Amino acid sequence: MPLNTAFAASDFKSELKPIWCPGCGDFGVLTALYRALANIGRPPHEIAFVSGIGCSSRIPGYTTAYGFNSVHGRALPIAQGIKLANPDLLVLVAGGDGDGFSIGGGHLPHVIRRNIDLTYIVMDNQIYGLTKGQLSPTSPRGLHTVTSPEGSLEDPVNPLLYVLGYGAHFVAQSTPADMMGLAAVIEEAIRFPGFAFVNVQSPCVTFGEPDQQLKAHREGMKPLATIGYNPTHRMKAMALAQTYGKDLYTGVLYRNPNPPPTYESLVRERQRHLAPQALPRDRILDQFMQRVAPEGSEA
Amino acid sequence: MSVSGIDFSRLSLRDAFDLAILIEEEAQERYEEFAHQMEIHHTPEAAEFFHRMAQNEAGHGARLAQRRTTLFGDAPSAVTRAMLWDVEAPDYDQARAFMTARQAMQAALQSEEKAHAFFVALLPQVHDPEVSALFTELRDEEAMHQTLVTNELAKLPPDPAVGPDAFEDDPTAQ
Repeated sequence: MPLNTAFAASDFKSELKPIWCPGCGDFGVLTALYRALANIGRPPHEIAFVSGIGCSSRIPGYTTAYGFNSVHGRALPIAQGIKLANPDLLVLVAGGDGDGFSIGGGHLPHVIRRNIDLTYIVMDNQIYGLTKGQLSPTSPRGLHTVTSPEGSLEDPVNPLLYVLGYGAHFVAQSTPADMMGLAAVIEEAIRFPGFAFVNVQSPCVTFGEPDQQLKAHREGMKPLATIGYNPTHRMKAMALAQTYGKDLYTGVLYRNPNPPPTYESLVRERQRHLAPQALPRDRILDQFMQRVAPEGSEA
Repeated sequence: MSVSGIDFSRLSLRDAFDLAILIEEEAQERYEEFAHQMEIHHTPEAAEFFHRMAQNEAGHGARLAQRRTTLFGDAPSAVTRAMLWDVEAPDYDQARAFMTARQAMQAALQSEEKAHAFFVALLPQVHDPEVSALFTELRDEEAMHQTLVTNELAKLPPDPAVGPDAFEDDPTAQ
């Protein structure tokens, strides 16, 4: 049963129609997201949805939440700014593997170590699909693409290990081949108090590998809930994450049972602590001027 | 295809109607989505077929809703869309760019088969005779829809020997 029936999935569906290739995994992610948001029960105007650039980064436009289809690789810094400016907003971030782990890869450690309360959904298709099929950071070694006609010589980034290694407190993986599981994982990530990462294996139907499509996911995925997995141990999660690219485990890999305070809660606490010492607004400029140009000095 | 949070052994007739209506509603929405996907990818024949399927599903849903209203008025429902996924709606990966009318019909046929299998698997779990009668009726309707689509398929000319894959660019270093 939904926890809150004040909203239906259709309340989060914008009038803009997706222009992804028919058969794209991102359609399933979008539908699962609508369901998760309906269950969360926050109205669209209390949600900000930020993305970078790429096929999957079109997703905010297909929702009725506030959306910002931003700059390549820069969704996380923008989302952090939004959350710090208005901590009451529910802030979601989405993008692809190229956006998140290549050009935007440098931002991920910092949002994790700050533990800002964002939900980051990566639609990992192991290819740059929008630009017609170049190697991406999660492309497997040996993959033939337009930029690797003889096969890739590089090992892929392991997104799960990467975020666990940097200390993320909520890490999950899913696929649109398991729509109910995907919606549940997204909902759980949104409810988690702190930075939450969801890696969605969302196949590119046009440039992706045939053995990585949803049909293969349906046949090969291993839902963690069915194997009695306990997601409260980081080291066990890291061991499981090593199988990225070989086995498709779905569900929550790691959820810190005692999550630390979020960055924005610490900022609020510090603001409360410093407030009594704060100068009245009209004296701030006077004090500043005293510092830069003390009375009697030649300005 | 999945349903969660419903105990079919204790399902009331009212909730059974609501479940059936929601299944049709989901299928209608998905076919509309597919029709739109085909339109923007310049495949009008497949789009037209998917629109037709959406209308059919809407018609089925409306007839069920009418019966539900006659029997139970506007009594609230205990069944929600959150409890079901892709029961009769075609899976997203059934769609392909530049689908022929034949491929579109084959996708619909698979969905009808999926819905039929759903009711076949469900029936042994149902104890209420009225619910059982409704689900038997729906199972048989799905079988009839399969026949209708199969007959439509038989009327179509074969797909051209050369498909869009033949025009794919080879990988070239950029």
